[in-house]
This record gives sequence, C-alpha cells and structure tokens, in this order.
Amino acid sequence: MFRRILIANRGEIALRVLRACHEMNIEAVCVFSEEDRGASYLELADRTVCIGGPPPRDSYLRSDRIIAAAEVTGADAIHPGYGFLAENAAFADKCRACNIAFIGPPSEAMRQLGDKAAARALAQRLKVPTIPGTDGVIDDDNELLRAATQMGFPVMIKAAAGGGGRGMRIVPEKTDLVPALKQARQEAQAAFNNGAVYLEKFLERPRHVEVQIVGDHRGNLVHLNERDCSVQRRYQKLIEESPSPAIDSRTRKALCAAAIRLAKAAGYNNAGTVEFLVDHKSRFYFIEVNTRIQVEHPVTEMVTGIDLIKAQIRVAAEEPLDFTQRTVAGSGHAIECRINAEDPDQKFRPCAGTIARFRPPGGPGVRVDTFAHDGWRISPHYDSLVAKLIVHKPTREEAIRTMQRCLDEFIIEPIHTTLPFQRKLIGHPDFAAGHVDTGFVERSAMQNATVE
Amino acid sequence: MINIEQIRQLIEMMVTHDLVEISLRNGSEEVSLRRPTAVNASSHLPVAMHTLASTGNGPSALSGEAVATESDKRPEERLVEITSPMVGTFYAAPDADSPPFVEVGSTIQLGSVVCILEAMKVFNEIKSEVAGTIERILVRNAQTVEYGQPLFLVRPS
Repeated sequence: MFRRILIANRGEIALRVLRACHEMNIEAVCVFSEEDRGASYLELADRTVCIGGPPPRDSYLRSDRIIAAAEVTGADAIHPGYGFLAENAAFADKCRACNIAFIGPPSEAMRQLGDKAAARALAQRLKVPTIPGTDGVIDDDNELLRAATQMGFPVMIKAAAGGGGRGMRIVPEKTDLVPALKQARQEAQAAFNNGAVYLEKFLERPRHVEVQIVGDHRGNLVHLNERDCSVQRRYQKLIEESPSPAIDSRTRKALCAAAIRLAKAAGYNNAGTVEFLVDHKSRFYFIEVNTRIQVEHPVTEMVTGIDLIKAQIRVAAEEPLDFTQRTVAGSGHAIECRINAEDPDQKFRPCAGTIARFRPPGGPGVRVDTFAHDGWRISPHYDSLVAKLIVHKPTREEAIRTMQRCLDEFIIEPIHTTLPFQRKLIGHPDFAAGHVDTGFVERSAMQNATVE
Repeated sequence: MINIEQIRQLIEMMVTHDLVEISLRNGSEEVSLRRPTAVNASSHLPVAMHTLASTGNGPSALSGEAVATESDKRPEERLVEITSPMVGTFYAAPDADSPPFVEVGSTIQLGSVVCILEAMKVFNEIKSEVAGTIERILVRNAQTVEYGQPLFLVRPS
C-alpha cells in the first residue's frame, strides 16, 4: 500500500481524497497554487507544496512541477482528482515513467475511451447502441433521405464544421427533410464557410443516465448501478440521483451490462463512468466514457455504501477490490445538488467574492462535501462549485423532502449562489414525479422569466 | 550568560517577525527555540527568515538559521527577492567539488547563475533577474524548495 499520496488537485475533491488517505493511514501531500495559499483544507495535509501562480496553466496543469513535488516529498502515488490532469494520458505516462503510481485507469484505456470517436467505434463493434447517425458527411440528398428513414424520424441535421445551433435543424417528418437540408446548408455555409452537414437521430426529451464502474487488476470489473443526471443546464449537471426514477429493471440491467462490456473491451481498471442517453421508450444510446472519478461520485457511495476513492487507491496499489458484483447492493435513494457561486438571475454569471457566512445543513442521511467556510474567498480562476449537498434516505420522496429541508437550512452569504434555483428545481412537480429530461432546466428557467 | 530576559526577547521577536526557529549560541551555551505555526505543522519546507534585532547584550553567535544585524530598522523593501520558479532541490554549487555560484557579498549581474534547482534528474541553472549584491542566502544546500519560495535577498545596484 502507498505510504504517501500526492493530490494533484484542489478544493473539495482534494479534501475528499485527503480524507480517504488519512482513513487508510496514508500521508497526504497537497499541492496548491498561490491563489489557494491559506486554504483551510491545506492545514490537514501532511505536506504541502506550492506549485505556481493562480491560473491553472501555471499550477494545477503543470505536470512537471507536480511530479517534481511528488519526487521531493517522497510521494509514491498521485491522485489526479477530476478535471485538470485527471484524463491526461501523457501525464499518467509521465508519472508511471517516474515510478510514481497514477491513481486512475491504464493510459491505453484512457486514450481509447477518451477519444469520443474511438469510443463510439468500439461501442458499435460491441453492439452497444450509439446514437444513430450518418458517420461522416453525405452530400447526396437521396442518400440522406435513405439514412434518415432508416434511423427513424425525427432526425437532426447538424453542421460538420461547427456548433452553437448554427446549421442545425430538427426534421420531424420525411417530407420536411429536403427543404430543411437546404436551409441548414445555407446557414452552415454562412456561419462556418462550410455547408457540409450530417444527420443524427433526434432524441426527444432524453434522460442522461450514467453507470459507475470500477475494476481491479485481477479482472474484477464491477458496476455500481446508475446515476440519473438529467437535471442539467448547458451540459453542466445540477442535480444527480440514484437510482434513476425513469428506468425499469430491465433497462437498468441492459445499461449496466453494456457499460461493463465496453470497459472490459478497453482493458479498463480503476474507477470510471459510462454515459448514456435514454429516450422515452427506454432505448439507450452510448455517449461517452469518463475515465476518472466524477464530481457526483458521492451519490453512488451513499446508495452502495462503497468508498470509491478508497477503492481507487486500492486498485492503484494493485490490491483487489473488497467487493464483487454479487456483493454490491443498492439501498435507498440518494440525491445530490451542486451549489455553485453563480447568479441564477443574471444568466448564472459566476460570482467571485468572499463568503462571510457559511452554514451547511446536517442531520441523518445528510452529507456535505465542501472546502468552503466563513471567510473563504471564491477565486475567479477556478470552477464555481462551492459545495455538494447529498442526501440519502430509504425512499425518493423522503430524499426529496430532506433535500428541501437542507436547501432551506443552507446559508451562504453574501455571494450569489444557485441555492434558490436548486430550491425551485427540487420543489418542481416534474422533478417530484420523476419526469425530467435534459431540457427540463431550460424550460423551467424560461418559465421563471415569463412569470416575471 | 544567556538569561531569561534574552530568551523572552527572542520569543517576542519570533512572534513579531513570524519566525519558526532560532538558535542562539554564546560561547558554550546554546538556546534553540522552535515555534509551531499552521504552516510549520503541515510543511517541512521552511519559510523565509527575516532580519533580527540584536539583543544588545554583547556578542552572541547565532547558528546558520538566522543572521543578526545592527537593527531591524534596515528597510527590507529595498532588498529584492530571487524566488524559485519551480519545485525542486536547491544546490548552491554546480557540483560537489566546486565552490558555490554565489556567496553573501557576491556581485551579480542580470543573467548571473545563482544556483541550481534540480527536479527529476534535470538540473536547471537559475539566472538572476536583478543586478546587485547578494545580501542573504535563504536556503541551505540540498534543501527542497517550492514554487515562489524566496532563495536570495539581493541589494540591487
């Protein structure tokens, strides 16, 4: 087992990993930027090393300084957290070349699954469903018509050269396709100087459902069921829960089996998440794999009782997982709300500033993962996550009620946070009914606007 | 003879200047004071030392940790720090057999090599961005240094 782990990250995930280390009697070395100097979580570290200036490219992304810090402190492993260098295969290679264990998957698996196109190709080879689409650009309208008919309408026309909604058209029926193609091509040409378009099946009101997997070096690859992350805004997750209220046990089984199949084929070990979209007919489609521990991992930890960070450390130390697929059991329902320093009334503009009063909630089944405290200054250099509020109760209804209580208790002043917005989302009847999809937040935000 | 009053003054000085460690030797007597701080408790990387006021009780030799000066009124603001641009191990000389690049009192120009910082078997020559005289060397040979850690105090010319 490792003697000393260097945590190549900051904030709440650095604190999370530090706690796991200390519970395993492993020393924790925390690196920090000059912006984070004085952060109270650093006082808990056994060693700290300043690795640069405030911008991540001058500190948390400096693999040379991070590895040097591991060297001078005698760390025998590095945990990359999430973000920053967590999915950087070159960094993983460098660590391993310096005889420092990288707490994450093998570099080859990271490369293969990290490349979206390669991952999609692998999924297709394994007969894991992917979003049907014309893989590549097609200019011939008749061919496009054929492809669209095969996929099934509605389809989406997308510009090959760019995004942001330009050159995109939703085509509800066969008869709409050709005129829509003309418009989309014109728009794409104007926006990107390239009128090439491709087609993708349009999923109406899809849900984002992801499967947590973790595997050791002995080929024991286990799934820890799913998380439903449909409540998101601009592809940023706001609320995550497990189990998903929208899928039946048959779909769950198939999703988890597909995730395992994919991970096994890529030679995956350590922790990872396989993401899918699920449509209203419970058909699921593979999107991508996140080859790292994720922000929302506590949701799975609460439901399964498994400490994922400790599992990561054990796997990296080439120890076996202390559970198997048969011994994994989910119990109850967990929900996580991400609390960000953003102003929901100003288009979620990130707010920098100092927190004067930080009063997190508590009680049975309540977990708050945070590094913030009274006097903590939110930096404009890093992401706006202030705290993760997780509740775990025997039923979904109780979990929602407890989350409401906790959101009401939670005080973060005077900066703007997404607390009021989360209160609205959790209290929304669609959420209570479990009828949310990835468009839910935008729709409810628009409703807020019109009510005013 | 080192007395309680001197020790009390040393303690006050340590608190005022946020020092971590002082050793005071007077002839055959030696007093060592170590002060735990939040930084100290969590890091084995020493913080920079500041100038001390003399105790005024006759000559006393301090150990290499801190240097006594005439008074603490010398304006530190006039001195320029050379800080570490990286994480690594500080070496004062190009190799074990050579003299150090600089010593207290050495004159340096813009671009003068002042030390080597080693990380991952790569030896980096650190060049000064200021011309002047080395006033103080703040780290020891083979000491670990972090980004931003002050290495030298230079009196600019």
